[in-house]
Amino acid sequence: MAQALGEDLVQSCELQDDSSSLGSDSELSGPGPYRQADRYGFIGGSSAEPGPGHPPADLIRQREMKWVEMTSHWEKTMSRRYKKVKMQCRKGIPSALRARCWPLLCGAHVCQKNNPGTYQELAEAPGDPQWMETIGRDLHRQFPLHEMFVSPQGHGQQGLLQVLKAYTLYRPEQGYCQAQGPVAAVLLMHLPPEEAFWCLVQICEVYLPGYYGPHMEAVRLDAEVFMALLRRLLPRVHKHLQQVGVGPLLYLPEWFLCLFARSLPFPTVLRVWDAFLSEGVKVLFRVGLTLVRLALGTTEQRLACSGLLETLGALRAIPPTQLQEEVFMPQVHSVALSEHDLQREIKAQLAQLPATASGPPPRPQARLPGAQAIFEAQQLAVTRGGTRPEVPRIVVQPPEEPRPPRRKPQTRGKTFHGLLTRPRGPPIESPSRSHRGSTSFLDTRF
Amino acid sequence: MGNRNEEDYNFVFKVVLIGESGVGKTNLLSRFTRNEFSHDSRTTIGVEFSTRTVMLGTAAVKAQIWDTAGLERYRAITSAYYRGAVGALLVFDLTKHQTYAVVERWLKELYDHAEATIVVMLVGNKSDLSQAREVPTDEARMFAENNGLLFLETSALDSTNVELAFETVLKEIFAKVSKQSQNSSRTSAVTLGSAQAGQELGPGEKRACCISL
Repeated sequence: MAQALGEDLVQSCELQDDSSSLGSDSELSGPGPYRQADRYGFIGGSSAEPGPGHPPADLIRQREMKWVEMTSHWEKTMSRRYKKVKMQCRKGIPSALRARCWPLLCGAHVCQKNNPGTYQELAEAPGDPQWMETIGRDLHRQFPLHEMFVSPQGHGQQGLLQVLKAYTLYRPEQGYCQAQGPVAAVLLMHLPPEEAFWCLVQICEVYLPGYYGPHMEAVRLDAEVFMALLRRLLPRVHKHLQQVGVGPLLYLPEWFLCLFARSLPFPTVLRVWDAFLSEGVKVLFRVGLTLVRLALGTTEQRLACSGLLETLGALRAIPPTQLQEEVFMPQVHSVALSEHDLQREIKAQLAQLPATASGPPPRPQARLPGAQAIFEAQQLAVTRGGTRPEVPRIVVQPPEEPRPPRRKPQTRGKTFHGLLTRPRGPPIESPSRSHRGSTSFLDTRF
Repeated sequence: MGNRNEEDYNFVFKVVLIGESGVGKTNLLSRFTRNEFSHDSRTTIGVEFSTRTVMLGTAAVKAQIWDTAGLERYRAITSAYYRGAVGALLVFDLTKHQTYAVVERWLKELYDHAEATIVVMLVGNKSDLSQAREVPTDEARMFAENNGLLFLETSALDSTNVELAFETVLKEIFAKVSKQSQNSSRTSAVTLGSAQAGQELGPGEKRACCISL
């Protein structure tokens, strides 16, 4: 397979130590004699046993139990114990439970419930011939070395066709973006087509709106944001990139559009997705910053990259040992970039975007930063009479008091006196707040 | 055209591959720079590149070949792709007429973003699939002639004309650059255009590319 790298740079096959999603070896005409697939399904991949540093079996078991417990009361968990969810996602969802947890995290299960029969209709409808041709051309080119996607008639490629076609019918104005292929493929490795579809919808519309549409305007904005963050957090690296002429659009799009599915060892990809579905786009920025630091963070590394191609090559040639999940993810989670920092930078860059750019302006405010925001939005939709027909509840309420005409209210003074004379103590919580766990209420910034 | 030690070159020529998704750009790149071909190369998302240093006469030329996604929407994020390019291979699939029908649009895109002096070759790829041909050779050749483009039919799969295609483009660029440096040595005016990108380097000289993207 043709993984394009400069000749004077590290060959792509060296990056294959762990899993072959990074790119295949250079056999002609696809896989030859049958070779063993690794535990993730990659033919010739080497993710056989969990590597060193991987948590022991009983710890995995413990985490599985936690997730089973959390997911069996999902609404309660998300209302009160999101911090725990976030922590567990950072540690990594046990493989056996991703299929259960991912749709819950991204809200796909609610979408599916709210739209019964929709996917069925989309799957059965004929696709737009133009899109079908384009999608069809790409089916064997998504994860060519994964056993699920090897055969054109297999459920991998067929599932991919169905899900991608369904999306073009669901959102005809968006159509098909090639990067949706790898994203849908990873989803299909874990989920049946309908659930994979709704997860794809959530990713394209809620996590990363403006990424996969005809103008990809949010990608352009995020590239500027990334550069600004580099300038602030890794100024010497930023300077080097400027000097050699490497702009973020030369490396960022594939990273972000594919959620790193083509750029990291596969187990690490899954860890990134666990965190991304939980915490949103901030995770992509943190991963990107970590990769740039690993590739170009030291003076020696920068000196070794005299020009544009060498620098781009360095970004693609980080030794796989440094990208192992247990080594890599803690660094990602400790990047000094909060949600607040990110939003501030996004606002700043949005203001500086040239007005002459073609296509619609990006709307980062349409982005939801992760599972909690999605959960709250979905809850709000329900209470606003959302899409689900509900049995009307009978609520007993005292008749509303007629409001007195506005004049200086006598009551206010009395209350004020009351507060002054009350002995200092903990503030009296209003009844509604007492339902919420104190930890979850405080944890609004992350 | 022989090969040369990677570290030793006098010129750097940036050449871009453009054309519809699926016409074979990535495999032309891999065939030329690594003598490799795969039926299942991944869809190109973003930008890929590869290099090969070749001898043109006595000069060592490092060809910097760029490859990107062909799908329409990627135009929004790859306009910087063309910067500094002195050559382009505009590729279509000769078994899919639709990929040839949009060649004019690609030419426009190219001229919108690249130097006017850029050397362009129209390439009809997949010549190994002769039974499935949908674009007659003469038709494409006529179009190329009428538009000042070089023309060749290639097969990245069986290597037909791949070397020749790149070699021809590089030679053409080299000829232009040589002529330009001859002209500028006669006059004292600084010439703009491809002279900047086809820069000549002394041994050990650091290439500082001030392009910011």
